[in-house]
Amino acid sequence: MYRKQVRRRRAVLALLIVGSFVLLTITYGQGSNGLQRGVSTIFSPVQGVTDRALKPARDLVDWFDETFDAKGENSRLKEQLNKARAQAVAGQEATQENAQLRKLVELDRDPVLAASAYEPVTGRVISRSPTLWRSSVTIDAGSGDGVHVDDPVISGDGVVGRIAATEPGSSQVMLLTDHASAISGKVLPAGVQGVVKPEVGDPEHLILDFIDSTKRVHGGQSVVTSGWRAQGLASHFPPGLPIGEITKASVIEQEANEQVDLRPFADLRNLDLVQVLTGGSRP
Amino acid sequence: MILTPKIVIRITLIGMLGVLLQLSFFSRVELFHVSPDILPALVVCLALLGGSLTGAVAGFSIGFFLDCLLVEALGISSLVLLGIGYFAGLFRERFEIHSSLVPALLCMGLTLTAELGYAVIQLLFGIDAPVSPLIIRDLLLKSVYAFFIGWPLYLLVRRLLRPALVEEPKVRRRRQPRTLGA
Repeated sequence: MYRKQVRRRRAVLALLIVGSFVLLTITYGQGSNGLQRGVSTIFSPVQGVTDRALKPARDLVDWFDETFDAKGENSRLKEQLNKARAQAVAGQEATQENAQLRKLVELDRDPVLAASAYEPVTGRVISRSPTLWRSSVTIDAGSGDGVHVDDPVISGDGVVGRIAATEPGSSQVMLLTDHASAISGKVLPAGVQGVVKPEVGDPEHLILDFIDSTKRVHGGQSVVTSGWRAQGLASHFPPGLPIGEITKASVIEQEANEQVDLRPFADLRNLDLVQVLTGGSRP
Repeated sequence: MILTPKIVIRITLIGMLGVLLQLSFFSRVELFHVSPDILPALVVCLALLGGSLTGAVAGFSIGFFLDCLLVEALGISSLVLLGIGYFAGLFRERFEIHSSLVPALLCMGLTLTAELGYAVIQLLFGIDAPVSPLIIRDLLLKSVYAFFIGWPLYLLVRRLLRPALVEEPKVRRRRQPRTLGA
């Protein structure tokens, strides 16, 4: 009797392991399937309600966490404010000069660059992946709201990621910090281009890779989406969306590895409301 | 554990609620920059009460449900959680739980094992980006949080599944006879 129980137990275990491998083989890299879309469609309203109900509890826990961080952040923000003041003055001068130059050459604004080409859809974050290896959130805006796969997603501070999968009432957003994320970026005002990639495990650290090692970039410079277009292909992101700020730009790293370190503008750890840029031109 | 249809429904609801709470609450709060992961601890608690088979099936189902909601490749979470559910259940079948530290330590150890399992599987499939050493902080802190969550979660799940549990008879102490009028 005991041996029969042990055999049955081992058979069920083997079946479950084989089942896991079969599921993995079938679904890896294939995007969402009908079953996942169905489950997600049924449970996304429940997730939305749970999210709203638990918000006070989340805010309480976040208050404790933020209190520990406050002192360090205070000195960092003071330093940033001083730098921003200096940049604002320089920016005002550049704006004035730009207006004068535009008048001189009568430059038309490229309609592709106009933000009005996109129709933003606001979504609330209702759930988040529990592991750092799959950095994604679910929002309560889906294909029924006009959201499509690969649509850019932004917050009030900058780029957050892109839509990875959609259901009628919800969508999964692949964050900038997901290991599969890669966005073409441009350093301002140098114009140096590269690819923004994450460092898995550190949501406050990005890498601008494949930059031109002959051109110098400096700490404090901003990185925005480059929005490149070439021979029928185009970036999913429109140009000019803020991505992050260069934090470390050593000459050795630039020359040897052709990369610099960034800090994202968007607070990817505490996302609540985001906007999906729907519409626009598609590659 | 005596498995009746009602108890199976209870376990299913516990698993679903655990996944929803994890995605909507625990994944979105951070203490020292790390979010707790209660799902391995939940699977361990179910396995400690139900045995290796219950633990494996619960782990597989919870992992499957999690991957469906996240719209990720099916099978990764199922594989990891069924493994820790099975081993937690094996522990229960071979040893008695005499101390409240046992569920807590098992939750801590098996959460660390689960996080390492996720990491190994992701690395096997290939990572397109560099990996920060802060991943180690994430692994260790998640297992520490699981230690503190383990015992209360075990008590809660045991209370919810009490009708299915076979309680061992308590040993009664013999009372000293009382002499009336003495």
